[in-house]
Amino acid sequence: MPATLVSAAPADAPPRDAVVEVDEVHRRFGAVSALCGVSLRVQARTIHALLGANGAGKTTLLRVLAGLVEPTAGSARVLGRPIDASARTRAALGLVPSGDRTFYLRLSALENLIFFGRLHGLRLKAARARARDLLEAVGLAADADRPVSGFSHGMQKRLGFARALLGAPALLLVDEATHDLDPVAAHGIRELTRERAAAGAAVIWATQRIEELTGFADHVTVLQEGEVRFGGSLTALAAHSRGMRYTLRVGVLPAADPESLEEALEGLASIEPAADRDPSHLVLTLAPGVSLGSAIACMARAGADVIACREERPPIEDAFLAIVGQPL
Amino acid sequence: MSAIVVAWRGAVGEAAKIPAFIRRDWLVMLSYRAAFVSDLVTIAIQAVLFSFIERLIDPATMPAYDGTRAGYLEFALLGVIVSLVTGLMLSRVATAVRQEQMIGTFESLLSTPTRPTTVQAGSVAFDLLFIPLRMGLLLVAVAFTFSLHFHAGGVLPALVVLAGYVPFVWGLGLMSAGAMVTFRRGAGLLGAGVGALGIISGAFFPLALLPDWLQAIAEANPVAIAIETVRETLIGGGGWSAIPGEAALLVPASIAALAGGVLAFRAALARERRKGTLGLYRCGPPARATCGAMAANAGA
Repeated sequence: MPATLVSAAPADAPPRDAVVEVDEVHRRFGAVSALCGVSLRVQARTIHALLGANGAGKTTLLRVLAGLVEPTAGSARVLGRPIDASARTRAALGLVPSGDRTFYLRLSALENLIFFGRLHGLRLKAARARARDLLEAVGLAADADRPVSGFSHGMQKRLGFARALLGAPALLLVDEATHDLDPVAAHGIRELTRERAAAGAAVIWATQRIEELTGFADHVTVLQEGEVRFGGSLTALAAHSRGMRYTLRVGVLPAADPESLEEALEGLASIEPAADRDPSHLVLTLAPGVSLGSAIACMARAGADVIACREERPPIEDAFLAIVGQPL
Repeated sequence: MSAIVVAWRGAVGEAAKIPAFIRRDWLVMLSYRAAFVSDLVTIAIQAVLFSFIERLIDPATMPAYDGTRAGYLEFALLGVIVSLVTGLMLSRVATAVRQEQMIGTFESLLSTPTRPTTVQAGSVAFDLLFIPLRMGLLLVAVAFTFSLHFHAGGVLPALVVLAGYVPFVWGLGLMSAGAMVTFRRGAGLLGAGVGALGIISGAFFPLALLPDWLQAIAEANPVAIAIETVRETLIGGGGWSAIPGEAALLVPASIAALAGGVLAFRAALARERRKGTLGLYRCGPPARATCGAMAANAGA
């Protein structure tokens, strides 16, 4: 991303206040329940990740917060006001939808942003200037005058992000923004999101990409089939990990097989052959509270020379799988 | 600050967004140049067609306006133009919403701090300006080409009559748009409705040819009133005095249609929000389990 977006902090987002308050929200579609008693709080200047598989209810929750879908029961408030279809509530929102069919394909990227900017109350000149700044910020300045019909999925995503920032929103609702983006573009979008949060906005970031949350999200809510399975910090989420797993490369194995090596570990960890069936590769699973160093020291005493060690699965991913009831 | 001032500022702010829609639709139209030209050519071909039909018709059978006997081409051309404006505007209000749903921009529009009524008005603003302008220019071009005689003094009264008539069409269009939002269908029904209104509008033939009972209905048909009044002013040349008393019926009909249309459209949007299918091409809900089913399965 070549440019830094400079924009004023939202006027009505006081620091550390709850921008979003969701209490026991239910949403049914006929006999189907998309949200089942979801509650959460999102503060200003924070990035709150909604983590869940397809159909977990992330998009429905964002659509409720955007005023596009009414909750069947429960309450949701943005900036202290009940969510409704009023223009005043929507002025505080910036929505990045998950789909890419949200633009006028015959118009250029610039003209699309000018149009939506004017719907945010900007005059033509101001809308044009804002649109150009945002296109620069999302790395689309060179494509500003091209019709959106020629844009790739990733380019439309970036354009969608630019549109969400037109009104300098106090609440940014982002639905799978980095899905299908290349790593550089995804990094750029996350940087822009951080900037918005630092400027005072609350961000709700719905994603399936667990790996992007470390060092990015302040809080996480795990949704599964419309229900909140976890709410808290990343550190608290990682604590749900079922034990650290490492793939080891071992130079000299004792004459005994892995079972006897596990005996030598005396319950500190379990050990098993790696999936690649390479005899020099072993998978080590630490018992809760055991350090990696003590396990490796134990193995060294039993005659195993540990040459390399790689974390098999990040603890957040493992914790997520544990929370949603998936096997290791 | 009083509520009236706040409401006034809000209304001014919303009105200021309408030019954005006009600019958008102008740019989109420019991107479809071939369709724009072919549309004009089609109407011009119709004028040529009517000029041949005129040769078959005995001028003595045509109605007189303020003592002036109308030629068939003059008669039909005004009818065609008013009914085309009617048909285009009726369908545009409804299809504008449908189109936004289909290309996926409807939710994007409603996510902005813009009132639904502004979105509706904005979606047809370009057509409200452009269709009458286009038809007016076509009328002038055909009048010159076929040496038709229209009274210049009738232009302004005719425009005033049309201004009183347009909200009626817009109101019907909003009702139709509400039906489109709700049922995702309705183009066929809309076409049948426009066709029925067209038959009893006297656009292509004098109303005197209709059976008595249909004539009675046609006398209260705002489309027929608008067409006849435009003929009175442009063919008869009586200026303001040519506007008959029936034209006064247009105002209450327009107010009623517009109010009904706004309410119907708002109700349709509110219903879609409740159902959660606002921006969806189809009405079906997402398929998923009910609350607690997952927990029960996990526990099993």
